[in-house]
Amino acid sequence: MAAHQQPAMDEGMHHANYHYGHAHLLARYCELPDPLHPPRLQGYLQHGWNMGDGLAPGTPFVDGSKIFVWSEETRRRSWSQGRRDVIVVGAPFAYLLEMEPEPADAPEPEGTIFYPFHGWEGQQISGDHQKLIDEVKKVETGPVTACLYWNEYRMKGVRKIYENAGFRVICHGYRGFWWRDHNREFLVGQLKELRRHRRVVSNRLCSAVWYGALAGREAAVYGDPMVLDNADPTFGGEPRLRRQWPELYGHHTDNAVTHALARKQLGADELARPDELRAILGWPASTERVK
Amino acid sequence: MSERSAALLPNQGTDFAAALSAPPVNNLRRIGGEMFAWSDRDPQRSEPLPRGAVLRHLLSRYAGPGRTVLVAGPHADEVVVALADSGAAVTWLLRSLIDAEDAARNHSRVTVLAGAAVKLDAAEKFDLVVAADGVDRLNSAEGEQMTPAQLIDRLAETVQPDGVLLLVHDNRLGVHHTVRLEPGSRERLDSDWYPADDENDVERPASPEQLAARLAESGLTVAASYAAFPEPATPTVLVGEGLLGTVGSPLRPRLGTALSQAFAAAFRGRPVLSDPRRLVNRALRAGAEGTVAPAWLVIARGPGEAPAVDRHALLIGDAQGTFAYEVASAADGEVHTTVLEPLEGPIEREGLRRVSEPKAPGADAGYVLEERLEHLAATSDLRQMRVELTQYDTWLRAQAQDGLVSGPVALAGLADVFVTEHGPSLLPTRWESIEPVPVDTAEIRAVWQFAVQLITSGQAHPWSLTSNAVDLTATMLGMVGLGVDADRVRDAVDLHVRIEAADQGLNLSDQHDRRLQLLSVSPGAAQVDVAGYRELTEALWRQRYQASHLLAMMEWTEQIIKSRDLQVSKMDWEVQFYKKTWAGRFLWISRSAYRVIMRDGRKFVRGRRARKAAEAQANAVR
Repeated sequence: MAAHQQPAMDEGMHHANYHYGHAHLLARYCELPDPLHPPRLQGYLQHGWNMGDGLAPGTPFVDGSKIFVWSEETRRRSWSQGRRDVIVVGAPFAYLLEMEPEPADAPEPEGTIFYPFHGWEGQQISGDHQKLIDEVKKVETGPVTACLYWNEYRMKGVRKIYENAGFRVICHGYRGFWWRDHNREFLVGQLKELRRHRRVVSNRLCSAVWYGALAGREAAVYGDPMVLDNADPTFGGEPRLRRQWPELYGHHTDNAVTHALARKQLGADELARPDELRAILGWPASTERVK
Repeated sequence: MSERSAALLPNQGTDFAAALSAPPVNNLRRIGGEMFAWSDRDPQRSEPLPRGAVLRHLLSRYAGPGRTVLVAGPHADEVVVALADSGAAVTWLLRSLIDAEDAARNHSRVTVLAGAAVKLDAAEKFDLVVAADGVDRLNSAEGEQMTPAQLIDRLAETVQPDGVLLLVHDNRLGVHHTVRLEPGSRERLDSDWYPADDENDVERPASPEQLAARLAESGLTVAASYAAFPEPATPTVLVGEGLLGTVGSPLRPRLGTALSQAFAAAFRGRPVLSDPRRLVNRALRAGAEGTVAPAWLVIARGPGEAPAVDRHALLIGDAQGTFAYEVASAADGEVHTTVLEPLEGPIEREGLRRVSEPKAPGADAGYVLEERLEHLAATSDLRQMRVELTQYDTWLRAQAQDGLVSGPVALAGLADVFVTEHGPSLLPTRWESIEPVPVDTAEIRAVWQFAVQLITSGQAHPWSLTSNAVDLTATMLGMVGLGVDADRVRDAVDLHVRIEAADQGLNLSDQHDRRLQLLSVSPGAAQVDVAGYRELTEALWRQRYQASHLLAMMEWTEQIIKSRDLQVSKMDWEVQFYKKTWAGRFLWISRSAYRVIMRDGRKFVRGRRARKAAEAQANAVR
């Protein structure tokens, strides 16, 4: 795949704005005329939940650029790390929920969607998939769907382990790289899958768990967290996750509590209105919409 | 001619011919110590003269037929005229002989004393002694010099046992001194042969309490004391007992807005160390406004049967003219405004009308919308900010008819909106629109004005620090679903310039310059009203931040272009590769053929239509 070739420079800021179809989704929310090809965002958009300054580790940063983060807590943390032009916009997934509320006649959700913690293109995880699967099978009572990250999904061996466990194995798609091969409907597909299930679980607190909690699903984190080969310990690593958000850890959690936490982490109560978001992201005002 | 004048200012000198040709005046007495070749009315040589509607109102309470009045020191003519018009016998002490002669000529009913206070007849007493100019201009350059404390004593001695003294005393800790930014100020004024702000004079009263104690030594009792803002010479806001230092007073929110407006008007365009409004606002929160007030105005009574002295919690008046009103709260906390002195006549300018009956909402508990939004902006509370702005938007639109809004609300800023448990209401405003204004324009102006303030005063807000005023306006109005672009902001700025033109009497050229200045409020813009040095340095910091970001961005963009060029080159190579295959060639030929057919087909159809039309026309002619 051409998109996997390393470009002339390291991973850049602007192309990350299009990961998971984030920019496309915000363009749709803002009612831009061509949301499949959104204009450039005037800054970096946080593209995954993190406990750092809102930028993915190692993101090359153009000094003085705006950083659009998901939550007020992330903004504070980012400021504490020397970032200045940090603006809270909320997570694109939260905007998606605003645009696509769960229909009243939606089928009753059942089973569990399980996100084995993944690395990304630059980091592979080490851990025992089978041990994790055994624990999931022990805890979860209904059917289980395992959602693998695209690079693990492509590894037949890994996929086979989950299939042999009787899990339905899916992948939400490729988040895109260097402006190519984005799955623009990534989050839409993910929301659809989350809503099919009653529970969302993972062995590491990550975006998907928060998304599930925000979508009203029971969210739980348990099992071997598996460590990244070259995990960055700057922000406390996996142990910090447990310490700071213990409410999500364990086989069963309190729905109301995890939902409230998800609202904060994903900035669901901070969401900008379409015109407001256009102004913040540097997109044309709605009065200029019709051309 | 002084060195200052010689170096900086052309000085006309004394017109001896005019002086000799002037007719003699019989209501002028030279008591000694009078200054020649000198005028306190020249702003280049001396401080401004005391004036203002509030001052005139207070004086009117104690002057009247049969009463004797001493006006000590230079005052604006309007003050003396008002006293004389009351029927009182007015004596006016002036140190400048030129000023005294002019005063005697222009005010035949007034007895003018030319000379220094030290020469005043100790035996002569007055029912009312007016020293709204303080004591700093009662000494002359000639002869014996009295200390400020002695001058206060001297004034107190001239008060009849049943008389009243009205004294305005400059506060050396006043915010006007703190923010002063006048390089060479010590040398600027010809009147400062001794420095006016010598803070080491231990005898000079340095607080209202010390002032009261000093007057008490002369047998006077302070019956009413006010903190005077924004400047000693033009006290347009007086804060009195019941409100002064009382943080929980229901009048507090009105006071904040009134002081902000008063300081903006007084310090507009004047270079200062830092915006005095910020300092005063902090003092208000601490109940310390009396400590930083530019001056204290005291009304002291003699030991005899002096007239009753009114006390007001909050008096607000014009710097020029007569218009003054009181804001007070009843025992039950209900707040009301009372016009004490009406406008002299209707004032209409730029399609706007001066409000003659300022209204204040009755409720005692609430907050000023602007202050609330500033707090929410500083704490990044976007959620609550949306709630507040939506409430404001709903309230404003509820007052519109067919998309138009009229009256004071059309020109109200967010600082003029007071929010109570019953919703927003309007604080007293100065102007109203004669013709209705589109509600969008009114709302954009209010929010834009707030955006300008956020940027230029360097206050924290949750949006990009490189935002310009239009960006911030669009963001905030986006919160209420109103899309805004630069054109709509331009209409709002035009409305704003009209308000300023009406209030400040701007001419067309000034209005043009002002419009350009307001339309270009960017991160690097300094304040657009009070020229604060601190705010200027903050603007400079923002400008540098933006410039360094732009440089970094240029470097980044270069790299991106290189990278994208490489990608395009690779893709071009791929395209060429595919074109070379048979399938690719077939597709390429098919596409070319399709284009040719479409192009020529269209040409053919157009030609046939033209021919038919020509034939039809020819047939019709036949």
